[in-house]
Amino acid sequence: MSDPVSLTTDHPGQAASATPPAPGRSRHLSDRWLAVAFISPALLLLLAMSVFPLLWALYLSFTDYSATRGGPAHFVWFGNYTAILASEQVHLRALTTLIYVVGAVTLQTVLGFTIAYLISRRTRGRGLLTTLFLIPMMLSPVVVGLFWRFMLDAQFGVINSMLGSLGLGQVEWLTRQQTALFSLIVVDTWQWTPFIMLIALAGLTAVPKYLYEAASIDRASEWFRFRTITLPLVWPLLLIAVLFRAIEAFRLFDLVYILTSGGPGVSTETLSFHVYKVAFLGFNTGTASAYGILMVLIVIILTQLYLRYLNKLKED
Amino acid sequence: MLVVTSMAACGGDEGTNASAPKAPATIPELTKDPLTLSFIWFDWPPAHALETFANAEYTKERPNVTIKVNTVPNANWHDAMFTQFAAHKTDFDIPILDSQHIGEAVTNGNILDITDFVKQNIEVDAYNPYLLAAYGQFPQAETGKRDENASLYGLPLLGDTWTMIYRKDLIGDTPPQTWDEMISVAEKCQTDNPGVSGLAFHQANGSDAAAVTYNTVNGVYGGNLWDAKSRKIEGVLNDAAGQEAMDVLVNKMKPLTAKGSGNWFIDEVNAAVAQGKACIAFNWIAASGALLDPKESTLGTTKEEILSKLGFATLPSQKTNLVPLGGMGMHVSAYSSEEKQAEALNFMKWFEQADIQKKWAAAGGVPARTDALESPEFLNAGPFNKVYADSVSRMRDMWNVPEYARLIDIENTNVNAALNGAKSPQDALNDIAKEQQAVLDSSSQKGGGGL
Repeated sequence: MSDPVSLTTDHPGQAASATPPAPGRSRHLSDRWLAVAFISPALLLLLAMSVFPLLWALYLSFTDYSATRGGPAHFVWFGNYTAILASEQVHLRALTTLIYVVGAVTLQTVLGFTIAYLISRRTRGRGLLTTLFLIPMMLSPVVVGLFWRFMLDAQFGVINSMLGSLGLGQVEWLTRQQTALFSLIVVDTWQWTPFIMLIALAGLTAVPKYLYEAASIDRASEWFRFRTITLPLVWPLLLIAVLFRAIEAFRLFDLVYILTSGGPGVSTETLSFHVYKVAFLGFNTGTASAYGILMVLIVIILTQLYLRYLNKLKED
Repeated sequence: MLVVTSMAACGGDEGTNASAPKAPATIPELTKDPLTLSFIWFDWPPAHALETFANAEYTKERPNVTIKVNTVPNANWHDAMFTQFAAHKTDFDIPILDSQHIGEAVTNGNILDITDFVKQNIEVDAYNPYLLAAYGQFPQAETGKRDENASLYGLPLLGDTWTMIYRKDLIGDTPPQTWDEMISVAEKCQTDNPGVSGLAFHQANGSDAAAVTYNTVNGVYGGNLWDAKSRKIEGVLNDAAGQEAMDVLVNKMKPLTAKGSGNWFIDEVNAAVAQGKACIAFNWIAASGALLDPKESTLGTTKEEILSKLGFATLPSQKTNLVPLGGMGMHVSAYSSEEKQAEALNFMKWFEQADIQKKWAAAGGVPARTDALESPEFLNAGPFNKVYADSVSRMRDMWNVPEYARLIDIENTNVNAALNGAKSPQDALNDIAKEQQAVLDSSSQKGGGGL
């Protein structure tokens, strides 16, 4: 009788390479090589399409290279970075982006959680409701931008038409400084609230029922149950959703492009939209690369701080 | 973006040659194999008219050739062409460039120098010299002239300028003759006709919409965009005439437009006219054909009925009679195969013949040859065509320099800001002058270019 085959090992890599090939397979093709063969196409694609361009952009960010003017790239070292950080134009876009991110993500979180909470309390039709609420998220941002552009048109749009029927005046949603950024926030909220809702709903349905039952026995109020059971248990998951949305909102481009083109003037130009202009209007590739790298760095730093806070929350 | 820049940056040393490669003086032997000649343009009626016309007419001479006019949204037009130029590989053979794009394309070596080809194959005397220069010459010609020693990089495809569209049934058959008169007529019309705005014009901050509007008013009120010789913008654009033009645009014209029209461009202006919502409007002639379509209009059920209400006139004059130069030229991509470059040159030679230009006029195009412009085929093809013929001697272009895309963006965003109350007119004009001057002066800047 042979020894039983061990199912676990402290060195899975070694065990894998020691495993004899399956019948019918070449003796030279070990599991390790097979794994490499399967992974390498995806790995090569990742290297070619993401890692190499990123490293190349990092190199270009220290040069004055222009994609259309060509010629050799001259090193300007941190010239691009200092110019970007000192530029009033960039500060203006950064402020616009900050207002947009805070406004949109806050609104989406409040609405998303509220909708999820209300849905989670229903026993019938929950699946259908969830699916219906998810529809906006499935649409292309360009499509969303286009139909909201028509809906928000001051002259022919359905929104102003509805306001008119209520006896209210026309609002210039997309062409006034006070309303254009707000309109962008509303449209983004319409599209992405379901994302927060979905994650919050997952958190809400995972809350153990016995906690509520125990609270009921203790005759705890609805608000007390929400504050001491629901919110603390869903909060970490909600914060992850907020992180994802904040990163997405930080790099907003498509809605701005379709709805306002950054206008009126440059009052709704976000950082991403500005990078696009630097990269493709003037083809200042070096500057645009540095701008992009700085944006990535900001996201990484803020995400790290955020994750630390999340971990601390978890430990507490 | 990272992928595009990497492709461009790794594209080899071809980009180090900063001058355009030369096209042969004579057309090389053409292929007998099936061939698709591709254009790139933005999506508007002339693009579709060109594809239909060229496939119907050019194939009579070259049955093995198919013409494909690829279109992109207007706002992406520059990017679509120049990102491909940056990659040194184009899926088009004939880029249709705005006249102001020529400098950027020539400096980067993206299009062929066709000076010798033109000398041998094109009747240059058949054109108004400025039209030939505007759509092909670099360095840029002085307004109204052509420098015969300068190189040519393109030939006219579609001439264009603004027309004033006015409601004959609301303001009478005689169009206003001066800009001030036009404003007062529009004001009265707006007061007399509730629900109809006095004016409709381009105000959007995409493409060159708001900038062309300001440049037009600037020209009419005697202003200048720059001093081309000294490359000075600050102090020229925002001089007294420039300030007056901005004041007229923002404080006198804007209040006569519809609420929320601050993002209007070609289609929105046409829609306002077709829906009977504007007394006087300004639009490009080449885009005005849609106004005569009864299916799109509430002004009449037949073309004749629409024309009984709509009039087309040249722009009113004030201190000068300048009008904006529109339209585009056709060029040959430096990255096309030799076979396709030869076919492109043959197409251009064919297209610029007198009889073909008249047929193009009859098909809805705006030709550039003088004989075609004066022909009944052109003048009778549309009610606005005479406006174009009368405007040719009055045209003024913007800057045709490699920095054009940035200059136009600065002007567009600032004029749009002024029109929509985000900036005072004076601040907007001063910012345009300051920022544009900085762009022209920044060639020696180390780092941070483009901000």
